[in-house]
Amino acid sequence: MEIPTFQPRLKVLNREQALAIHTAALEILEKIGFKMEHPGALEMLAGAGGKVSNGNWVKLPAYLVEEALTSAPKQIALYDQKGNKTMPLVNGNPFYGTGSDATFTLDLETGQRRRVVLKDTANFARLVDGLENMAFAMSMANPEDVPIEDIYVHVFAEMVKNTNKPIVFIADSGKDIAKIYEIACQVVGGEENLRQKPFILNYSEAISPLRFPENVMQKLVFCAEKRIPICLPSGSNAGGGAPVTLAGAMALGIAENLVGLSVHQLANKGAPFLFGPNVSVLDMKSTVVSYGCPEWSLTQAALADIRDEIYGLPIWAFAGASDAKVMDAQAGAEAMFSIINAMLSRANLIHDVGFLEYGSTSSLEMVTMADELVAMSRFFTGGIPVNGETLALEVIERVASGGPGSIFLMDDHTFEHFMQAQFLPKLLDRSRYDSWEEAGAMDLYQRCNIEAKRILSDHQVEPKTDKVLQGIDQILQAK
Amino acid sequence: MSEFKALTEAVVKGDIKTAIAETQNALDAGSNAQSILDKGLIATMDEVGERFSKRLIFVPQMLRSAKTMQECTKLLQPFFQEGDVTSKGKVLIGTVKGDLHDIGKNLVSMMMEGAGFTITDLGVDVSPEKFVQKAQEVEPDIVAMSALLSTTMPAMPQTIEALQKAGLRDKIRVMIGGAPVTEKYAQQITADSYASDAGSAVSKAKKLLGVS
Repeated sequence: MEIPTFQPRLKVLNREQALAIHTAALEILEKIGFKMEHPGALEMLAGAGGKVSNGNWVKLPAYLVEEALTSAPKQIALYDQKGNKTMPLVNGNPFYGTGSDATFTLDLETGQRRRVVLKDTANFARLVDGLENMAFAMSMANPEDVPIEDIYVHVFAEMVKNTNKPIVFIADSGKDIAKIYEIACQVVGGEENLRQKPFILNYSEAISPLRFPENVMQKLVFCAEKRIPICLPSGSNAGGGAPVTLAGAMALGIAENLVGLSVHQLANKGAPFLFGPNVSVLDMKSTVVSYGCPEWSLTQAALADIRDEIYGLPIWAFAGASDAKVMDAQAGAEAMFSIINAMLSRANLIHDVGFLEYGSTSSLEMVTMADELVAMSRFFTGGIPVNGETLALEVIERVASGGPGSIFLMDDHTFEHFMQAQFLPKLLDRSRYDSWEEAGAMDLYQRCNIEAKRILSDHQVEPKTDKVLQGIDQILQAK
Repeated sequence: MSEFKALTEAVVKGDIKTAIAETQNALDAGSNAQSILDKGLIATMDEVGERFSKRLIFVPQMLRSAKTMQECTKLLQPFFQEGDVTSKGKVLIGTVKGDLHDIGKNLVSMMMEGAGFTITDLGVDVSPEKFVQKAQEVEPDIVAMSALLSTTMPAMPQTIEALQKAGLRDKIRVMIGGAPVTEKYAQQITADSYASDAGSAVSKAKKLLGVS
């Protein structure tokens, strides 16, 4: 008889806590309200039963929000650029990828922190393309060598040229997102193909507390109309954009997400919306928003519980990042803490892998290390299959009662099972001291540096056709 | 300083009630308002600022001390003529055009105020024209600009240019900050100073104006 394998799962909220946070979020929207600066969205909300005062202050009855929660699809699938369904974002499936907008990067040759350029976006996209456990690419850069008005269009084009994996992209407003959309259509051969098999997801941010700027809402409405998956967290970090206590910060962040979701579903019922408020902390000494803190992992584990108890929508998360300035022990510890917890809590789309310096610096080595940490976490989360073959009583008998020289290492059972039964690290070093020393006495950072360089030089990204490339160039040149 | 020991302690702790009572006590005991301000309040806030920059205390503690000081200063106000109170300098601050983020900018405002600067805060989405108009009105020593979005950064050089055109640039020092802003960018757009956080904004401002 088959014994099902228990897969370790983290739970941090009980049902009462989940409901209390949800209720608080609804109360924020119904009693406190929010500022909606997009006239079209304001009109939709008012038309649906929202109460508008002082021009653009809206209070939203709970039933409107509940309707939006009902009409939003429970599963979102992202495809790669060749049309394969590589990211089914349904409960229990975690997918990791890089982050956006870093100002600096650690130079692969010199190790120095320097301003990012467009070439860095290309390198990060190619590295992601070559790493098994990285499911999607983000730009990892705000390059200084492209015109700032079209910065997001240029980084998007650069990603498309350097990876065939799904892309999570940033835009500034309704204007540049239309250009990005045009490029995406070029890649897959038209609007209908993109709608059928979307390989893009937009990340936009409202402003905590409770402010929804016009340019942000333009993107939300655009994505709803075109059915491009979108997520819309605010900066509801505890102590900064939101109350310092995590429950309040979550309630506010969820309320803000629910505003986005309500507008989104009013604009186009059934369009895909990825849920997630991004609740980290504002560090009380440096005032940076922390990327290595335990709180962010805790609030997204809590969000996963709320998803399971109430919303049922796939969720947005972060992991594999650090506040450390170099890829040191702190970076490793913080990266692993968030990677394993995001997986144990079954977050769905997990971004920001490879960030140092609270998201200001990107590192190719850090992404490379994180890829292995994700593999390690996957192994752990797989649990322990228990059956006749894995209990291996016959093997024990064979070896124990065998003559001298009978060892498990020699047994066929070991040969047949070791690749699945054990996690086999590639970068984490377990060699004996002498061989480690002989191989150059390198630490993990140095080994990741070599591996990143190897992938960038060896990995072949299947190129886009000339027609697609020409189309992209035309879009980039158009004013 | 020892004559205001209890007041000093209350400001350090952020105990507003006790600090106000101690300020009143000092006035009742015949202390001079200027000396309460200088030796009791400003000297204490300098010490608090010092402890903050050494990372010995946290932001909310520092802000509470600043708030405590402000409440006490209100009590002293009637004893000063307009213009009597010396300020470290006048700062005109705002988040640039197109950008609606204000947490960082507000923090800089509060810390500068706590350090003895006079602040005029224009809020968010401040156009170059508005910076110029207000600069003509309040004649600040420093114009401080903040941006969180990289796409709004170009409003910084536009504002500098507008100050130039209005003939104000020579009289004003320009400071910039915000997540995507760098030292290099400040040099490129000919700003006078860049600060990476609120604490360093205060020390950079002091340095620009040559005050301590």
